[in-house]
Amino acid sequence: MAQSNNSIKKILTVAFALCIVCSVIVSTAAVALRPMQQLNQELDRKTNILNVANLYESGMDVEAAFGQVTPRVVNLETGEYSDQHDPETFDGFEARRDPAASRTLSGERDPAGLSRVENYATVYLVGDPDDPEQVILPIRGQGLWGLMRGFLSVEGDGNTIVGITYYEHSETPGLGAEVNNPRWQAQWEGKQVFDEEGDLTPAIRVAKGSGSGEHEVDGLSGATLTSNGVTNMLQFWLSPEGFGEYLAKFRSGVDQDDAQDADVELEAEGA
Amino acid sequence: MSDASTKSVLTGPVFKNNPIALQVLGICSALAVTTSMSVSLVMTLAVIFVTAFANLFVSLIRHHIPSSIRIIVQMTIIASLVIVVDQILKAYAYEMSKQLSVFVGLIITNCIVMGRAEGFAMQNGPKMSFIDGIGNGLGYGFILMTVGFFRELFGSGSVFGFTVLETVQNGGWYVPNGLLLLPPSAFFIIGLMIWVLRSVNPEQIEENEFKMKHNTEPKEAV
Amino acid sequence: MPIRQTLDALEPHFHKGGKYEKFYPLFEAVDTLFYAPPNVAKTTAHVRDGVDLKRIMITVWICTFPAMLFGMWNAGWQTNTAIADGYASMAGWREAIMMTLASGHDPGSFWANFVLGATYFLPIYLVTFVVGGFWEVLFAIKRGHEVNEGFFVTSVLYALILPATIPLWQVALGITFGVVIGKEIFGGTGKNFLNPALTGRAFLYFAYPAQISGDAVWVAADGYSGATALSIAFQDGMAALTSTFSWWDSFLGFIPGSVGETSTLAILIAAVVLLWTGVASWRIMLGVFLGMVATSALFNLIGSDSNPMFAMPWYWHLVVGGFAFGMVFMATDPVSAAMTNQGRLLFGVLIGIMTVLIRVVNPAFPEGIMLAILFANLFAPLIDHFFVQANIKRRKLRTGAPAEETA
Repeated sequence: MAQSNNSIKKILTVAFALCIVCSVIVSTAAVALRPMQQLNQELDRKTNILNVANLYESGMDVEAAFGQVTPRVVNLETGEYSDQHDPETFDGFEARRDPAASRTLSGERDPAGLSRVENYATVYLVGDPDDPEQVILPIRGQGLWGLMRGFLSVEGDGNTIVGITYYEHSETPGLGAEVNNPRWQAQWEGKQVFDEEGDLTPAIRVAKGSGSGEHEVDGLSGATLTSNGVTNMLQFWLSPEGFGEYLAKFRSGVDQDDAQDADVELEAEGA
Repeated sequence: MSDASTKSVLTGPVFKNNPIALQVLGICSALAVTTSMSVSLVMTLAVIFVTAFANLFVSLIRHHIPSSIRIIVQMTIIASLVIVVDQILKAYAYEMSKQLSVFVGLIITNCIVMGRAEGFAMQNGPKMSFIDGIGNGLGYGFILMTVGFFRELFGSGSVFGFTVLETVQNGGWYVPNGLLLLPPSAFFIIGLMIWVLRSVNPEQIEENEFKMKHNTEPKEAV
Repeated sequence: MPIRQTLDALEPHFHKGGKYEKFYPLFEAVDTLFYAPPNVAKTTAHVRDGVDLKRIMITVWICTFPAMLFGMWNAGWQTNTAIADGYASMAGWREAIMMTLASGHDPGSFWANFVLGATYFLPIYLVTFVVGGFWEVLFAIKRGHEVNEGFFVTSVLYALILPATIPLWQVALGITFGVVIGKEIFGGTGKNFLNPALTGRAFLYFAYPAQISGDAVWVAADGYSGATALSIAFQDGMAALTSTFSWWDSFLGFIPGSVGETSTLAILIAAVVLLWTGVASWRIMLGVFLGMVATSALFNLIGSDSNPMFAMPWYWHLVVGGFAFGMVFMATDPVSAAMTNQGRLLFGVLIGIMTVLIRVVNPAFPEGIMLAILFANLFAPLIDHFFVQANIKRRKLRTGAPAEETA
């Protein structure tokens, strides 16, 4: 038996039959389960978005709740909505690699350690898209050990924070990973992003130790560098380099000329 | 091995011949997935499933496997099973599969599965092999769950996600042990478990490789 | 001599067949605390030196005293200065003792500073001693070996590398881990390949980082945030460091830090004694120092815009953080260090390089000496192995025949 088993013919037959059987099983599983998996991913993303808007409750119908959320693609340079991309399919994170759809950052202008940033980004509007209750912005930046990705939600005034969540990070468990602790996240509610009317530089930051005032939240104890990472990415994404121009539209009192000036400057540097 | 009873095949690997504690196989995933008990449980089930069915299928076709390509044949069967498990988890337990990330895929490289297919299923009938697979999966799971229990309880103050010790981060009194949230802590716990198991079953203790010479002897104090 | 007589009278009970046979290690420990150990060498193990383990360990123990005494004063001085600046003192029993003995928080008073420091350090040391001693005796009884004087050194070194404000239950957990996992699991003193004191600290460092690192733990005043010299440089750069502390402050030890590590001067005094008596290996100390100087010089040359630690010169590396303490007391631990002479040098260099590497390049840990020494501990047997093999090879070449083992 062993003899016949080791004949070339037998080896090839067994190998071939096994490959056929296994590949059929694997591909059936992959194809049959694909829609379900995509649904899950979609659901996961939507849950994260609802979560940051304080609209999520466990066990709720995510799809129905997501009905009040409208995705829009924003041109980061002008702060205007863009119809160039379909908000349902556009992925800003992927676009950062495309030289035509992104720009490089370095030195002072790159506090969050991103090195490349896309020109367009998807934002999510809660409520009436023309006068939203909340605006949800995707943010990302370097933490201590790697890239952290999350969402920040601000109220319709473009200034008051509703919440912040991170759905992807590699911070130290128990220290930096406490960015996802609900108690820490709860502190963000009601904080103000900008210092005074018309100011385009964000004032919001994570304090060292305990934070005070409307622009500060308590630092994560034992995780100074992760806290700094959070500060840096907010400083970047809320500045005119990020969503600053876009948020300015919601804020009263911002001098549009100032914003335009910053615009020109940006374009010059971006070129 | 062929005369072993069903019961000993099933329960032997849990304490007497534990794949992790005695054979020290499958350590890698035991470090990575044991931060919480629910993740450990899913991983355990996945490994039991893969080990049992890999054993079953290998045993079923064992008379037809040419010895020159037997390892590749076993690998192909194991890999297919693992991919199926991974796909199912992604479809039906998305949260879990996110936390398990690559470690479900890495069951392929888990020495326990391969070791049992080569060491047991190639010589034994399908029924016994299947049971042996379950037994070894249970042995693996026993260690995983115990490590997961200590890591979750003392690292995050909870068991299966239910808070037992209220941590200071959440306004309680318990200061969680951060080391237990880091993978190396599983080494310490597995090491201590091996210590306990070998104290209970001294026959598991290996012979010393060499003996130290006594260099002093007490004599009457002057 | 009544002690001798009492001990002699009790001794038969502890010998084989006696009433307290099990507790012989405990008796032996008490006996050798007062008198020279009764054991004599039967084989060649002690040919290396005429000194016994007990005397070595006691020498090291006494050598820690300058650093310990200064550390207590400094911990008190830092705290009293902060309190004088308006921060609240930590209430509790320490405060009660403080008021009874020193009646106030005057940073100018030597006595007030010393008492305050002592109310923090002595409980840490006591807990270390009692809990660590418990494990030591338990294993001695269970395993039938003797309680070793090495524990004197382990306990005091462990207590000295903790911040003053560390909770005492953590002290107990740390020393438990250090003694059990770092030493007894491998068979007790002489067989441990890691430094038990550092193992205990490393455990605390990863398990409870909030209480052993950061800015708030070094000075025992409520809400006061006093960063160590090293973390100032780490976060804000060399300019911030030199404007906060002068080099002489750091050298003499007037900086926040773990109790025993702040004063490089006190540690160097100990180093002189240890080297003069031959207890510590000069090769290891030299190696650590050279490794540190070379690596920091290299980083100085490379330079970096974003990482201020690149610019720290070697003479600052020497006086900030636990470098000096680690070099003098921890790296030279005779059990966990390399045993061959060339090996010791290499072992030291490895520590020096790793220390600076961790301090400068690692984004998370400002201090590197602890991990560097533990890392080098792991490599010590390997280093020895290579030098022993090289030696055997050389002899073989010279004599044409394998050398006779001399043992």
